[in-house]
Amino acid sequence: MLEAEHLVFAHPGQSTSYDFSFTAEPGEVTAISGPSGSGKSTLFDLVAGFLKPESGTLALDGQNLIHMLPETRPVSLLLQADNLFDHLSAEDNVALGLSRGTHKAEARRRIADVLRQMGLSALAHQRAATLSGGQKQRVALARTLLRDRPVLLLDEPFSALDDDTRRSIRTLVRDLTVRQCWHTILVSHHADDIAALASRRYQLKDGVLASA
Amino acid sequence: MLTLPHRPVRIALSITLALAIAGLIIAVLWAILAAATDTATPSRVDIPHLLRMTSIQAGLTTIFSLAVGMALAWSLNRLRFPGRDLVVGLFSAAIVTPGMVVAFGLLSIWGRNGWINEASKAIFGFPLGNPAFGLSGILLAHVILDGAFAARILLARLDAIPASRLKVGQSLALSTSQRFRLIDWPAMRTSLPGLGAIIFLLAFTSFPIVLLLGGGPANQTLEVAIYSAVRLDFDLVGAVRLALTQIGVCAIVILLASASTNVIAPPHGGSTTPLWRDGAFARALQWLVLALSTIGFVLPLLSVLIDGVTGGFGRVLVQPTFWWAFGTSMIIGSASAALTLVLALALCLGRSASSGKALRTLLGTPSFAYLAVPAVVLSLGFFLLIRNLGLAPERAAPFVVIVANSLLALPFAVATLGPPLDAIAHARGKLIRSLGLSGWQQFWSVEYPLLGKDIGLMLALAFCFSLGDLGVIALFGTQDFQTLPLMMFRALGAYRGNDAAAIAAILLIGTILAFVGLPRLFERIAHARG
Repeated sequence: MLEAEHLVFAHPGQSTSYDFSFTAEPGEVTAISGPSGSGKSTLFDLVAGFLKPESGTLALDGQNLIHMLPETRPVSLLLQADNLFDHLSAEDNVALGLSRGTHKAEARRRIADVLRQMGLSALAHQRAATLSGGQKQRVALARTLLRDRPVLLLDEPFSALDDDTRRSIRTLVRDLTVRQCWHTILVSHHADDIAALASRRYQLKDGVLASA
Repeated sequence: MLTLPHRPVRIALSITLALAIAGLIIAVLWAILAAATDTATPSRVDIPHLLRMTSIQAGLTTIFSLAVGMALAWSLNRLRFPGRDLVVGLFSAAIVTPGMVVAFGLLSIWGRNGWINEASKAIFGFPLGNPAFGLSGILLAHVILDGAFAARILLARLDAIPASRLKVGQSLALSTSQRFRLIDWPAMRTSLPGLGAIIFLLAFTSFPIVLLLGGGPANQTLEVAIYSAVRLDFDLVGAVRLALTQIGVCAIVILLASASTNVIAPPHGGSTTPLWRDGAFARALQWLVLALSTIGFVLPLLSVLIDGVTGGFGRVLVQPTFWWAFGTSMIIGSASAALTLVLALALCLGRSASSGKALRTLLGTPSFAYLAVPAVVLSLGFFLLIRNLGLAPERAAPFVVIVANSLLALPFAVATLGPPLDAIAHARGKLIRSLGLSGWQQFWSVEYPLLGKDIGLMLALAFCFSLGDLGVIALFGTQDFQTLPLMMFRALGAYRGNDAAAIAAILLIGTILAFVGLPRLFERIAHARG
């Protein structure tokens, strides 16, 4: 279980102070919603490790993550856009999810495997810049699958997609979450995304999270 | 925010390198200062006169270059025609065109036996005069190079004006003068102090143009006087005093310039200007400005190529000394370009990984050594340092020339590689961190493929600066160790004009090939890898 207890943070020079507490279960999508400026991005950056809280704990199965750097946290990210490096092929983008020192033959096998699982084999050698929005999100999810970190942070990942693609990517996220037992946290203000995915919901108001 | 990738090795390497460069510059300055304390030897240099002449020349160059640059940028921003990109590229090449080549081209056009006077004699029966020599010649050559440089920088500012602002202006039906006053001028104005300071420094420290076109002591500048004091008068104390004066003035100008915005790196943003044409009179004026500027810039270079090819090309190409000088130029140019790349990359990678303002300033400062310590002064310092260390100057010469040329190209190299590396670190820092990429993975998979063209451009700049350098080699060159510019200078001194023309043409061709070819080559290599 991922558990945040009184993660307190205030941006320098701003009067608003945040105090976040929530829990997220494995194999479930936990949604965090709130209006623009309510602190969704701040919460996202605190969990990912880009911001350091003034106090509080963030623990995964009892292990405190607070002092871990973003690159060592057991967290994968999926953002609204810019998840890929446009100059690299789909395959090379996915390869960045492999841990260092993976043997070449093993790496090739695993990359081909996740690309096949995500239905991306035909696009493996295509540059990311030429892919559609939905294909890009699929490639990013393939990389996430390869990394297989227990926490998946989603920041409005479906906003730039058309309705059909949106539905298919949502299904993919839900299936992967269940299959891989990820603690998926969806930060969004889209009610339909939350309704389709979330098992647990929180509402951000005045810098504090409340169960919805 | 902890969004910048954590790169302690990059930062440590960068700090070490910055301190090493600073140490080298301090050692060079110390050698100059130590020599200045030798007051027993009398010196004949007239510092106030030289300072006055240099300042007048540099001041007038700055005023004329900014005026030409603004007019040309304004015209290029408005006009759309086939080959526009080629014309813009041509003016971009001004920064690397060797001063010697332009000076030689001016003599070919405006000199006593130049194209203009020959035509005048044929038509009117008398020559028109010789404006290529003296202050007018120096100003003409400087304005050709620096005006084109200014135009390229200012054009980038005009092209980066947001389309929304232009749409509002167009819907308000602003007149040409209103558009210039309300939209163009504010975009250019912020660049003018910094740009003016750079042009002033370039003109203040100009060496080959003043050496070739100065026409005698009346128009001599500090830089040329230092060379004369060392090589011709053997007045080392005089040279040192001149060098200190030069460093003092340059330092003051840099301090003033540092308060303004960075103008070397062009702003991001393409030519997304919506079609908004000025009135007929303004358009006629823009075409006139463009035609005159293009002719003014291209004609001297064209004359160099024609004179070179029709003159002494064949004679020069069979001389073993030419091939020796050619090989030396290529080796020195390639080595200093490679060294510049290593130094600039190490400094910029460390800087892009640093978030603290003080550290970023520390890592940025040594690269601007050139602006404070110009070519001839840097060479003089190295010369004195080597002598103090008991080394033979002729043995150390190749290494000194490579290092000095690298230091001279470093500010431009840092300005080329720094902004894109900073942009990658800021735009992609979160993703790079969250993926846990190593420093090498970050460079090889992300930075290098995206930097291909910039690396090529940086190498081209460094190679061309070194290829056209006369300031450093003039002090260290010998009969056995000479580059093409030094060979050309000696050919001119020995009244072998045809040989000089051929070498000038080869220098120009080499510069164009490197400036056009290297960025494309490296972009292709990097993309092939990416």
